[in-house]
Amino acid sequence: MLPTLLLTAHLLVGVALLGAVTHQSVGLLRPPSIRSHRFIARYAKVDHTAFTASIAVLFGLSVSLGGLIYPTYRLHVRMPIEESFAWWPIGVFELKEHFGGIGIGLLPGYICAWRSRAGSHVGLTLVLAFIVWWNFLVGHVVNNFRGLP
Amino acid sequence: MRGTAFSAAFSCAYAWALATNHPLFLYYPLHGELRWGTQAAHGSASGGPAMAWYGIVATASLIGALVAVCMPRRLVLTMAPYLWLFPLGAMVLCAFCVGRFV
Repeated sequence: MLPTLLLTAHLLVGVALLGAVTHQSVGLLRPPSIRSHRFIARYAKVDHTAFTASIAVLFGLSVSLGGLIYPTYRLHVRMPIEESFAWWPIGVFELKEHFGGIGIGLLPGYICAWRSRAGSHVGLTLVLAFIVWWNFLVGHVVNNFRGLP
Repeated sequence: MRGTAFSAAFSCAYAWALATNHPLFLYYPLHGELRWGTQAAHGSASGGPAMAWYGIVATASLIGALVAVCMPRRLVLTMAPYLWLFPLGAMVLCAFCVGRFV
């Protein structure tokens, strides 16, 4: 029961994080020439600097929740997948773990970059957005392949 | 500024710890055991699978914190605009290391 609750919380935090980081990325990439009444212009119009702290907190929370469920995954999901010789779900999930780990280490630099606008804030936001999208999609696909007991 | 140095060093250290198998500790979830380095659990045959991820994050955090304290400010300022290249490089190296599964 507890792993299911944690997985649901992990998913909900993931959804919020996906929304926030996508909003910030679209705000950064929006061409200035786009007409202001278009949906994309209105979507990106918000102050994307305001998302930085929320993204950092949500990312940390999401990886922490994932870290709590991880032993259950290792014992009850990954081992049966290994026994069925299906290697690709294990490979893409390993990448999810590592990208999540790298993302956690990226957060202090991401916060500093947004504070100082040192020039790397665009690149860091896009890297973080890629990690969040990859982790969300892989988590969903692997959970469909074989969910937690 | 220390955050920038930490993130750069963390990314490099994470990729290094993964590629060279240097987790600070291993966790054995079957019995809830922690072992320093890459030591096997007692009776490793029945110890179940080992998890290195927590240990790799710990190794990278430790190295990242040390570098963040020691790195000269001028070097950090020079590096700051290119910070995004560090996690990107680490991710490519991770993909290469995980390539055995695909």
